[in-house]
Amino acid sequence: MPIDCRHIRNFSIIAHIDHGKSTLADRLLEHTGTVEKRQLKEQMLDDMELERQRGITIKARAVRMEYRHEGELYELNLIDTPGHVDFHYEVSRSLACCEGAVLLVDAFQGVEAQTMANAYAAINTDLTIVPVINKIDLTYARVDEVLVEMEQSLGIEPDDVIKASAKAGIGIDTLLAAIVERIPPPQGDPNATLRAMVFDSHYDSYRGAITYIRILDGTVRKGQKIRFLRTGVSHEVIELGQFVPQRRGCEELVAGQVGYLVCNIKDVKQVHIGDTVTIPGDQGAAALPGYKPPQRMVYCGLYPSEGENFEELRDALEKLAINDPSFEYAPESSEALGFGFRCGFLGLLHMEIIQQRLEKESDLDLVQTAPNVTYQILTTAGETLEITNPQDVPESGEIEEFRQPIVRTNFIVPAEYIGPVMQLCTDRRATYLKTEYLSPTRAVLSFDLPLAEVIYDLHDKLKSVTKGYGTMDYEMLGYFPADLVRLDILVGGKKVDALSIICDRRDADRRGRAIVKKLRGEIDRHMFEVALQAAIGTRIIARETISALRKNVTAKCYGGDISRKKKLWAKQKEGKKRMKSIGSVDIPQKAFMAVLDTGTDRQ
Amino acid sequence: MEPALAASGGMDAESEAGIERTQAWRAEVSVRRYGTGNPEPGWASRPELLAYSDFMPGSPRHAYVHVPFCRHRCGYCDFTLVAGRDDLIDRYFEAVARELERVRQPLETDTLYLGGGTPSHLGPDGLRRLFGLLSTKLGRAADAEVTVEANPLDVTAEFVAAATECGVTRVSLGGQSLDAATLRALDRDHVPAHVRAAVARLLDAGLVVNLDLMTAAPGQALAAVEADLAAAVALGVQHVSVYCLTWEQGTAFETARRRGDLRPVDETLEGAMFELAIDRLEAAGYEHYEVSNFGRPGYRCRHNEAYWDCRPWEAFGPGAARFDGRTRITNHRSATTWITKMLAGEDATGDIDEMTAEQAARERLVVGLRRRAGIDRAVFLAASGYEFNQLVGSTVAGWAAAGLATDDGVTVRLTRAGLLVSDSLWADVLTT
Ligand SMILES: Nc1nc2c(ncn2[C@@H]2O[C@H](COP(=O)(O)OP(=O)(O)OP(=O)(O)O)[C@@H](O)[C@H]2O)c(=O)[nH]1
Ligand code: SF4
Ligand SMILES: [Mg+2]
Repeated sequence: MPIDCRHIRNFSIIAHIDHGKSTLADRLLEHTGTVEKRQLKEQMLDDMELERQRGITIKARAVRMEYRHEGELYELNLIDTPGHVDFHYEVSRSLACCEGAVLLVDAFQGVEAQTMANAYAAINTDLTIVPVINKIDLTYARVDEVLVEMEQSLGIEPDDVIKASAKAGIGIDTLLAAIVERIPPPQGDPNATLRAMVFDSHYDSYRGAITYIRILDGTVRKGQKIRFLRTGVSHEVIELGQFVPQRRGCEELVAGQVGYLVCNIKDVKQVHIGDTVTIPGDQGAAALPGYKPPQRMVYCGLYPSEGENFEELRDALEKLAINDPSFEYAPESSEALGFGFRCGFLGLLHMEIIQQRLEKESDLDLVQTAPNVTYQILTTAGETLEITNPQDVPESGEIEEFRQPIVRTNFIVPAEYIGPVMQLCTDRRATYLKTEYLSPTRAVLSFDLPLAEVIYDLHDKLKSVTKGYGTMDYEMLGYFPADLVRLDILVGGKKVDALSIICDRRDADRRGRAIVKKLRGEIDRHMFEVALQAAIGTRIIARETISALRKNVTAKCYGGDISRKKKLWAKQKEGKKRMKSIGSVDIPQKAFMAVLDTGTDRQ
Repeated sequence: MEPALAASGGMDAESEAGIERTQAWRAEVSVRRYGTGNPEPGWASRPELLAYSDFMPGSPRHAYVHVPFCRHRCGYCDFTLVAGRDDLIDRYFEAVARELERVRQPLETDTLYLGGGTPSHLGPDGLRRLFGLLSTKLGRAADAEVTVEANPLDVTAEFVAAATECGVTRVSLGGQSLDAATLRALDRDHVPAHVRAAVARLLDAGLVVNLDLMTAAPGQALAAVEADLAAAVALGVQHVSVYCLTWEQGTAFETARRRGDLRPVDETLEGAMFELAIDRLEAAGYEHYEVSNFGRPGYRCRHNEAYWDCRPWEAFGPGAARFDGRTRITNHRSATTWITKMLAGEDATGDIDEMTAEQAARERLVVGLRRRAGIDRAVFLAASGYEFNQLVGSTVAGWAAAGLATDDGVTVRLTRAGLLVSDSLWADVLTT
């Protein structure tokens, strides 16, 4: 007998990073008997190797649970979401499949930037919020203050807040009851025409694409034909089911349920996140609004350190992109680095993760160029160019307007750090908007800032000026004109295209000096003197010199020394292999990140 | 006919003309052995026809013995040795005797070298005992060179008498400096007067003397090096080795450097010291024949030249390396482990460096180019089976263009500038 909508609850767990979402999911799995206690691992849903290594959630995960409340059996579909700002779009996607959200706030940390960002996302999606203060077991828990913060920042009624500890298992049953009682059941008619939303997918080497869906209307059965509206292609449903948390097949999924489809689709590119699934033919349902595609915030060049591995790199990127549609890549070439790819990411963490996976899964040695944001240039010819690579900036004479992305940024900081954070932002040419108090001791500061400033090092700097207590969140505002220039770096008199950056004209001197100084530390001495210069156009604005190697000769090379010395020399050779030669200068791979050094003497 | 390698020694071979003659002779021998019978076209590119051990066949004619005992460990030293463990000396002799069993047929050696550690630390009786052991398996050619390393403090009249009695022809003296401050900086246990006395005693006994000098000691100035060089020349030693201090991992010096308690000499000054040594010693009549080695005509160290010719040699003792033309086998580098394993009849091998014909040829290039005579293409071809240009032709052309090497089409030599930075060149010569 198909399940009645009234016995289904769909909800996401949302919170700032590390507030305990995945741990709470563990407890829910345990208390509902979905997973036996002895099989339960900590943060069980973080099953990707990288997630376990880093102790964070990267990909949202859905699980079906059963829960008996006041004699009735309920199906609870939980989606655990990532807290890191880079993966915010995973949260929004998850929210669109739910009627409610469990909002966690750490009893010691209190309301932080992603608490607010994610809570607002849920409120905007019209979800019912079940607020929870987590980690009440902590000695330093400050439950009462956090209640005030929640009320002040999000208008949450203190009486509605459930006090829990995901780690110690406190308040879990109260929470389960609240989920059933407070979150409305999904709407939807199991007998209407099939209409389902694709909210995720992944690639399984045996089954092909696994499509994650939320059924809004109708019923989908095994063996049935379905159609994806975007591609228009019809497929037979070979398998369908739910996650418990591993895949478990069933005969049908009805309106209100969350589950997966396997349709013998070999190419994941055919499955579009946000697409609508319905029946074939012209009787099908209309398309759902779908999702805004994720926005790439940063770009960098990835090059094989051995030029001949270009094809291998392409294959590896393609394989990764299959499971991560938020990542994008396109071939490009550089005089210095040869053939490679310009890749777009959601943020620096995302970039780091992709690079790590590439190196691990494909055993490729990569050269990465420093990340940059996308710029827009309005040319004198009236054309608008999207610039993802500083190399593509035209001659200054052709530029009518140079625009950079600006983000609205909220900082949540203890009141005593307001001054330093103000300073940090003013140094970065921020426009101050406002300060609001969450409580007498905590404030929200809002600024409009160039995205470039935000992603490079603002987060680290914020952590250091607030002793780790400050958090930040940003959203894209749009492109605005600015006085930008391309800063080129010359090594031994030759311009190294992969080292160029775009920066504010007023920062150019400082950045130029910092970069050549940093490069001086990265490039080994050569048999000749090497000049390092920073230039805008033909004007040199900074210079450093690496003096020539004076002496490098092994003193003793007798019978017993030769084997040992040879190993040292061979090591040098290995090191040299991993360098890029520009003219006759060997540049180590990590030097290409040197341009990130913004100079500490920021005044 | 066995090519008498000893012919490459002696007065004659030490002069430039002598070297050329020797090289021409060697090339001719090889052509005779491999070329005349059936000169296959392209034979040089078929190295399997010409393993080095074929070219230098027969048993090794050179032997090294490592004596791992010192009175105290100098702060910069990372050699295989134990300090203050004279209680191990008896077991060491036993272990050497065991290792000598490896040699089935007694060898006739052209050179025999006792290094360390400090062989002289064994004292006159210990030295006699060691030579006694060695004589069972290591015979000597009539004009054999027999070197013993000694510390100035050990060079007593009794020691010199024992050395002469044992047939020692050459003593390499670890003097390091004739300046009291430098000796202190180097953590040595002797003073300049000990060095002078030792040299005089050895020369009086008719022994050939090499004096080790060290440069780039912490705090050492160029003038101090200049004074050391002049003093060495004045002492009348036939051979001088000049070593730039190396900061080795795990030494007390290196630890102190990391902590900031010791500061290495600036690299530019280090280079200037090295060049000064070359200038002064050449002006005084010493030939600079390898990176660190200077000898009066006829007084090069034939034993070390055997290493750089890549001839096979035998070796005994902890950390000692032996070579058969292709494979270098190094004994365990810990003196105590080596002794224990040898006595227990276990394998005491530390490291095996097994080379292909090409790898051996490339290694020959490196050790050869560290010699001032450089590499003669014909000799190289005959000895290694590889065409010089085929292996490193374009690399060397690059060096020549950069002023790091000279090449007259026959011989390739590093210039002084090239020699100074030669370690940076080898990455392009060696294959892994
Ligand atoms: N003391 C205490 N620690 C908790 C509690 N809940 C979670 N933690 C700890 O907080 C840390 C973060 O927990 P996670 O469950 O990974 O947090 P998350 O919100 O899923 O993190 P992201 O997915 O990376 O955003 C872990 O070290 C947990 O053990 C709790 O109730 N009490
Ligand atoms: S005497 Fe020579 S071998 Fe012994 S510790 Fe000093 S430097 Fe090393
Ligand atoms: Mg998590």
